[in-house]
This record gives sequence, structure tokens and C-alpha cells, in this order.
Amino acid sequence: MQVKTLLAGAAIAAAFAIPLQAYAEQAGGTMRVYHRGTPPSGSIHEEATSSTVMPYMSVFNNLVMYDQAVAKNSLDSIVPDLATDWSWDESKTKLTFKLRSGVKWHDGKPFTAKDVQCTWDMLQGKTKARMRKNPRKSWYWNLDKVTADSDTQATFHMKQPQPALLALLASGYSPVYPCHVSPKKMRTNPIGTGPFKFVALKQNESIKFVKNEDYWKEGRPYLDAIDWTIIKSRSTRILAFVADEFDLTFTADVSVPLLKDVKEQAPNAVCHKVTTNVSTNLIVNRDAPPFDNEQVRKAMAIAMDRSAFIKILSNGENQLGGAMLPPPSGGWGMPAEVLAKAPGYGEPDEDVAKAQAMMKAAGYGPDNRLAVKVSTRNIAIYRDPAVILLDQLKAIYIDAELEVIESSNWHATVARKDYQVGLNLTGVGVDDPDVVFFENYACGSQRNYTGYCSQEMMELFKKQSSMTDQDARRKLVWEIDSRLQGDVARPMIDHRVGATCAQPRVQGLTVMVNSSYNGWRFEDIWLKK
Amino acid sequence: MAIKPIDHAAELSKAGAGVESRLGKAWFLAKSYPLGAVGLILFLGLLFTGIFADVLAPMDPVKTNAETSLQGPGGQHMLGADMMGRDLLSRIIHGARISLAVGLGSTILGCSLGVIVGLASGYLLGWFDLITQRIIDIMQALPLLVMALVMAASLGPSLENTVIAISIPLVPHVARVIRSNTLSLREMPFVEAAKAIGMSETRIAVKHVLPNTLAPLIVLATAQLGSAILTEASLSFLGLGIPEPHASWGRMLSESAAEYVRTAPWLVIFPGIAISLAVFGANLLGDAVRDILDPRQRS
Amino acid sequence: MVAYIVRRTLLMAVTLIGMSIIIFALLRLVPGNIADILFDSAGFVDPAEKAALEEELGLSDSIPVQYWNWIVGLAQGDLGFSYVSELPAIDEIAPRIPITAKLAALALFFSVLFGLPLGVISAVKQNTWLDYFLRVVSLSGLSLPSFWLALLILMAFVTWFGTIPIYTDPPDNLWDELLLYSIPAAAVGFRSSALIMRLTRSSMLEVMRQDYIRTAKAKGASDRSVNYGHALANAVLPVVTIIGIEAAFLIGGLIVTETVFNIPGVARFLVEAIQWRDYPIVQNLVMFIGVIVVLTNFLVDLLYVSLDPRIKYE
Repeated sequence: MQVKTLLAGAAIAAAFAIPLQAYAEQAGGTMRVYHRGTPPSGSIHEEATSSTVMPYMSVFNNLVMYDQAVAKNSLDSIVPDLATDWSWDESKTKLTFKLRSGVKWHDGKPFTAKDVQCTWDMLQGKTKARMRKNPRKSWYWNLDKVTADSDTQATFHMKQPQPALLALLASGYSPVYPCHVSPKKMRTNPIGTGPFKFVALKQNESIKFVKNEDYWKEGRPYLDAIDWTIIKSRSTRILAFVADEFDLTFTADVSVPLLKDVKEQAPNAVCHKVTTNVSTNLIVNRDAPPFDNEQVRKAMAIAMDRSAFIKILSNGENQLGGAMLPPPSGGWGMPAEVLAKAPGYGEPDEDVAKAQAMMKAAGYGPDNRLAVKVSTRNIAIYRDPAVILLDQLKAIYIDAELEVIESSNWHATVARKDYQVGLNLTGVGVDDPDVVFFENYACGSQRNYTGYCSQEMMELFKKQSSMTDQDARRKLVWEIDSRLQGDVARPMIDHRVGATCAQPRVQGLTVMVNSSYNGWRFEDIWLKK
Repeated sequence: MAIKPIDHAAELSKAGAGVESRLGKAWFLAKSYPLGAVGLILFLGLLFTGIFADVLAPMDPVKTNAETSLQGPGGQHMLGADMMGRDLLSRIIHGARISLAVGLGSTILGCSLGVIVGLASGYLLGWFDLITQRIIDIMQALPLLVMALVMAASLGPSLENTVIAISIPLVPHVARVIRSNTLSLREMPFVEAAKAIGMSETRIAVKHVLPNTLAPLIVLATAQLGSAILTEASLSFLGLGIPEPHASWGRMLSESAAEYVRTAPWLVIFPGIAISLAVFGANLLGDAVRDILDPRQRS
Repeated sequence: MVAYIVRRTLLMAVTLIGMSIIIFALLRLVPGNIADILFDSAGFVDPAEKAALEEELGLSDSIPVQYWNWIVGLAQGDLGFSYVSELPAIDEIAPRIPITAKLAALALFFSVLFGLPLGVISAVKQNTWLDYFLRVVSLSGLSLPSFWLALLILMAFVTWFGTIPIYTDPPDNLWDELLLYSIPAAAVGFRSSALIMRLTRSSMLEVMRQDYIRTAKAKGASDRSVNYGHALANAVLPVVTIIGIEAAFLIGGLIVTETVFNIPGVARFLVEAIQWRDYPIVQNLVMFIGVIVVLTNFLVDLLYVSLDPRIKYE
């Protein structure tokens, strides 16, 4: 009897809980967000910047996506989006998606498997309609083709098994595009199936989105509209947030020193201080003197006192790591005990002594100092670490001069190899080795700026990619990462931490801890009145 | 408009009328132009600090130190330290040198170019004059900061290029003033006399016309000093200007103003004071110089 | 008079043609083009794709051909398309002009409102503590970096009133709009009022030394009527000139102010367009500013000529 009553009570409570919860989420309202500058275009597939992904992700859907309520992206947090279900075949090379039916593009045309095929054909350069730029070509090194088996089924055919393909498809960078809309239109007036429709972009002024009333997901989105105000001056936009002009800041726009200031002035603001999976690193021109000399290259990489960088740049908040974002927020980075054994990550004094010896072996010394140029972008987050580097290199007989490149010309300069050492920032779209290794370290990848290329490492990259046992894969990834540091492929300085702040009325927002590109669908966000 | 050539030595002595000793003259001037005297002192202070920055600065202005990042004033760092743990006082002292380089450098460069163009234009006349006048019209029609921006963007960020970028917009102003002076001077009896005794045109231009245009030139140049320093600050704020690790006041101010106004106000206050004092001094000096050298404006 | 106007108009045309050549050439001297910048946001440069992009935008044509295309388009009222938004350049430029125009007009209004009376007072009370005080205040206005002054104003508002006077949404009506612009305009106006004050002062002083003023005084006219009746009327002339020239300088001051107060006017847009190497925007906008400045100068000269009978048309 008692048990029965209890159960009944629980049932009643449960029955109440559901409507209660539904009641708690208030629909309506316009969310106001500030943006740091006019995005280069509205076409996510053509850009590699959060300036585009953060506002425009809400226009689209993917096949699958990262659960927007889970902060750490991993293969385990992938949920259905336009695909309701998916399965690998026996050979582990064919991934078949069952697609949602009845979904409509914002212009009213139906969404079908053809659109899926079209999108990836375009990414592989197989379609007549060509994008101006294709920054993530390297993601699909292993994709043979995509087929539309029926209106509601599409299959990805891979050259070799690649369990992490799902991780790539779940990124904010992997939306499904409509077949019938030209790339130009996608840049200026993007059409998607997502929870919000694009209304207008005014350069330097605003980007506006409204609720998609026909959204296929029941009851979503909650917001009526999202208004982005573009504010170029950082001081102005932070002050505006403090003055409660905005509900949400741009992603990771609040630096660690600023965070203290924001918290003091707006004590109610909810700030998420997270690793953004953006690393500060060096690109070393190994084709020209003096860094064609392996000794000099290695000496520079191990001489860096990374903890000093971290302390200065972020009050000790940035993270020490290799190519992969370190744990706990990163899923694949070397743990501290493994990292400590990686070349250059030991005791700073010992490392400097070692580096000095290497420099002497290369013919340099206190009386024969090496003059080099450190090039970087003319933006504070690039320049500041470069200034510290300049100072630290003095200890190993290198007199470095800073060459500041106007921001617009940075990649052009890098592409021309018109530098000796470059201080660079690398943003990682998905916290997965398949992205990091193939984008930045693989032979022939466009974003492998220094042209580091080792066939042996390529084999290892492919091997880890094909592994099903993720724990075994992780061990191999650590080994690869450590070797990349030893090879001075792209010496890492730190992994950045930044904060995204929201007013307390913003509900249902989860800020991702291992990527700033995957958590902006905005369909679950509501504003407390 | 015809402008009478000004004998600046005579004007100077008139200003200090009847006073014999040099010191006495200086004292007389200072009493007549107290604001100018303040300006001169400020300017000399800037000059002194800039020249002897290496000796005056207690520390290496580019030495970073993780331990003293954002340390407040007092103790080891009299005015505190910036984010990179660099000594603020030393950076401000070295910044005086940068500001001098920008102020004096761009003024001298702009004036020299302007004088050459103006002198040639006013002396040669004809086609050369017509074309340069149109170019000057064009340059004057473009806002100064826009010109400086385009120049800074095309030259790339560095100290030298910033100086050039700031100096270019000055050229048309100087050229115009020098030209109109030259125009009226070339009709003067002493120029005619020089011609009569067979002096070459170039020699006349350099020996007789140029010295007589000095007064308006000095007036223009002193007025330019302060605005050059401010233009650099604006360029820095807009992301151009003099790059790190140079200790430019403009950059120090524009960057710390964004990040540290509350958490480390000393990073905003001290460079702000430095820049305002320097510009203020230059402006006061410029005003006084104009009053002294330009009799039409003298009270 | 007619001959003078014709001559000046011809000269203006020559100036504007020369200006189009100079700005066109200058822009192409700036390293990097829109293709570089668009690729920058993608994090790499693909030479083949970049070449295709340059071809698409007509950047692979020879420089004279590009210039000719621009001028022919301009003559037909076609300004081309913005490289960034891919929208017609005219639609990007036109809506922003009134914003800056209102801001500039308001700033000019403030600068005259403060500069002119203070300059007169300073001149009349020459070499008194009031004169020194006013001169120091006005000079200090010229000594503060403009972005710094603007930021301080914003911070003061946020700290004391918990609100921020920046542009986030288009204002509902003209009154709201002017109210919104009044603070940035005052910041800009403060700086230019210093210039106007200095000029008014020295101009007044010069006039006050003239014989006719002395005569008026000798004839027993009151100080007040001499100072404000005769002297001011004559001193205003050079001030009018400088206000004309100020218009060009104002644009420069507005760049920084529009940036800090986030006002979507043409001044900031121009800087942005330079950074994007958005040639169609920069070229046409600079030409527009040029036309305005050249016209203003022309009108100021005409005004000058008609105000002062002593000046003859050259």
C-alpha cells in the first residue's frame, strides 16, 4: 500500500514535471548579441572563422550534430539532426544515414538526400557550382563519394574505415547546403533548414535572423529573433555588454584580464571561461636559413618558457599542451605526465641550457649571435606573445626583431614563405585528431603552412584514423603528438582560454569547452522575462 | 593675397624691444608669453627625455617578466608594470623618443618636401606650378587621417613608415604657404637686384627667397608637432601606427584603454598624461611662436 | 564674376579627374587585394582559386582597363558592387552618408556655438586670467587623443548612469537620432571648437587694431558696441573660411568617433573598406568626399568674395 502510494505519488510528480518544465521555458523575445566585425560572408563552407559560424550556424542543420547541451564535444555526444539514424556497414567504410522527411528549406523547397550528396560533391570540387574558397578540403581526404540512395537515405563511401567521420559531420562547419541555391547566394543570402532564417546583413552595422516558423523540430526555436550588432571597437562592445545592451557576447571575446573587469561591473553576468581550442604556436620556415638547420630549429622550440607565456598572457589560465587540446577539456591531448616527457616541455632552466648547447654546436654563441625576424599579424593576440618570444630568445643567442605584418596580408605572406619564424594562432574546428593532423600536419594540406611532410607520420595519421578502439587510438595520438613536437613541426606555445558572457536571463546556453565553432544552433535558448 | 616678407630677426628684437642681454631678452619673452614659456619648458623636457632615454630609464623597456605582470605602481616599478611585466616608467621615457621621432621626424620631412615643392612651384611657375597646384588641391581635399591611413596601410607598419605616412599630408599645406610667399618675394627689389648682378635662379631661390619664408614655416612646423603625435595615437587606435615592441605612447594608451582601465588604471593614466602634456606643450609653444613671428597676429 | 565661376569650375573638374587617378593608383599600391583578404578568413591561400577570384572581380585586367571601367561606370551612375557584401556599392554608401552628415553638422554646430563666443571673450579680455584660462582649456581640448576622450565619456556614462550612448539600432525619429548623435558630436565639436576659438581670437585682435576701430573708439562709441558691433562682424570672415576647411578635417575626427560610438556612418565605413581593400567602395567614397570638399571650398570662396568687397576675383 505504502509502496503503491509512493509510486502513485511519483507518477503524479512525473506527470506534473513534464508540463512544468515545458512551462518554464518561455518562448518569444529577441536575443541581442554583439559581433566583433563584419563576417567575410554568410557561407559557412567557405570560411574558417567564428565570425561566420557563430551567427550563421542557426540558419542550418547538419546530418548529425554535437548535443548542444553537452559542453565537451566527443563521439559520444553526437545526436541526430537531419539524419534520424545512421549505421556503418560490415567493412566499416560505408556510413548510411536515414534522413528526416518533410523538412523544408527556408524558401519552401523540400530537403532530400540529393542535397546531402550535392553538398559533399561541392566540397570535393565535383560540382559545376564552385565555391570561391574551400578551406576544409583536407577533412575529406578519405571520402570517396556520397550517394543519394533514395529521397531519405544517403551513404558516405570511405576509402578506409574512419569512425571519426561522424565527429567531422557533427561540427558547426558541416551544414547541409541546398542543391538549388548558388554559392554566391549562399554567401550573401544563405538558405538553410535551420531554426532561424537569415534576414539581412548590413556591413559594419548588424546581422538579423528571425524564427523559422516551419522548423521541423517541435516547439523550437524559443526565440523570435536574434539581432547581432557589429561593434569593431573592443572597449565599446565590452562596455555595452556591461551596460546591459546585449544578452550575449561574441564567443571568447572576453579575455582573462577583461573578465575580472566585467565581473566587477556586471556581477550578475554569467561568464563561461573555457578553452577555445585555439593554440598559439610558431610556424618555422624550414626551407630557408637559418631555420633550415635542424639544430637551430630545435633549440628555439625547446628554449621557450611556456609557463612564462601563459602567466603573462592569461594570468596563468591558458593551457600547456601539444598539438591536441590537453585534458580535461580536450579529449585527445597528452596528459601532464606524458607531456612532461615531450621535447621542450621539461624544466625551463635545463631546457635553456640544452638549447644553448645546441646553438653552440650550430656555431652560435654569446659573441656570435644569430639575427632573425619574427613575423606576426598586427593584432594584439598575435603581437603580445611575439614580444615575449623576442625576449626569451635572447637567452639562446638569438637577437630577434619583430616584423609586424598588416593583418590583411598575413596569409599571403605565409603562403609566399616570406618569413623566418611566424607567430601564429590555429583554431581547431573539431577536437579530433583527424581534423588536427590532416589539416595542419599532413603532406599537401593547404593549411599546413610550413610544408612539414613526413611519409612515416602520414602512415601514423592514417592508422590512428582507422582505429575503432578509441582508447588504443588515444595512446597512438599521444605518441604522434609528442613526435610532432620533437620534429618542430609547429611548436606549440599554449592553448588559449577566453570567456563568453551572457546576462542571467539567457537560459539553455551551453558554451563548448573544446571548440568555439560547434555550439551555436541557438534553438534551445530562451530568455527569462 | 600678397604677404609682406617678414624679417624674423627684426620681429624678435621688436618683441623684446629695448632689452639688451640675451638672458634679459629671454626673460622678457617669457614674461610676455607665459603660456609659451610653459610650452617651451614642456617641449624641452620632452626633448631631454627623448635624447637621454637610455640613461634616464631605470630598466630595459622591452624586458618582459612574468612575475611582475600588471604590478601596481611603487616598489621596483615606480609607475607599475604592463601586462608583460615591462616597467612602465622606462617605457614612457623611451616613448618620449618615439614621440619625438614622430613629431619632429614627420614635421621635418613634411616641411622639407613642402618647401621644395612650394619654392619650385612659386619660382618656376608655368606648367610645373599648374600641375603641382592641382596635386596639392587634390591632397588637401582628402581628409588628413584618411591620407595617413592609406599611406600607413600601403607602407606597412613600422616606425619609419608611420613617420612618412604622417608627414605626407603636411606637404600640401607647407607647399601652399611657401608658394604664396615665394610669389610675393620674387617681385621684391632685392631679388631683382640679385638677378641684375647675374645670380643664378637656383642660387637666388636658395639664398634670398628661402630665408625669408622661414617665419611662416616655423609657425606651421610648431603647429604640426602636437598634431603629429596625436595622429600617431589615432592610427594606433585604428590598428595601424607604430608596432610593438616600440614603446609608442599612442599604442600604449589605445591598447590599455580597452583592457585595463579598471584593473590596472596606471597603464591608462600615465601614458595618457605623457601624451597630453607633450601635445599640450607643443601647442602652447606653437601658439607663442606664431604670436612672436607673425606680427599680423600679435597683440 | 561669370568668368571667375567658369574658371573655377574648370579647375574643379581638373582637380577631380586628377583625384580619381591618384586614389585609384594609391589603392593599387597598397599591398594585398580583396582576394588575399577573403582567403585570409579561410586561413589559407590557394593560388588557383585566388586567381579565379581575381578574374571574377575583374582584378586581373590591366590597371588602365580597370580605371577605364570604373570611370565609364561612374559616368553612367554605376558604382559597381562592394567586394565584401556583393551588393551594389551605391546601396552601401548612400544610406551611410546622411548619418555622417548629421553628425558632422551637429559637431560643427557645437564647435561654433562654443568656439566663437569664447574666442571673442578671450580677445576682448586679452591677457587677463580669463583669457589664459580659456586658452588653456581650448588647447587641452586639442591635446587629448580623440579616441581617449570618447572612451572616457563612454566609461563615465556606464559608471554613473548604467547606460551607454552608442548606436545599436536605427533610431525611431529624427529627434532621437539627433539626441543620440549629440554626445559624439560634442566630443568632436570640443576639439574643433578649440580651433575656431583660437582663430576667432586672433582675428578679433587683428581687427581691433585697425584704424577704423580706433576711430570708432575715438568718436566715443562704447567698448561694447565697438567690440561686438564692428570688430566681430569683420573678424568673422576668416572664421568662415576655416569652418569650410574644418569640414574636411571633421571627416578625419569622425573616423575615430564613429568607431568608438559605433555609429555606422561613412567615415568608419571608409576605414573598414580600406582594410578590406574594397576598391569600389573606397574609390567612390573618396571621390564623393573630394567633391564635397572641393565644392565647399568653392562656396566658401564665393561667400568670401561677396562678404568682403575689398577682395576681387582673380
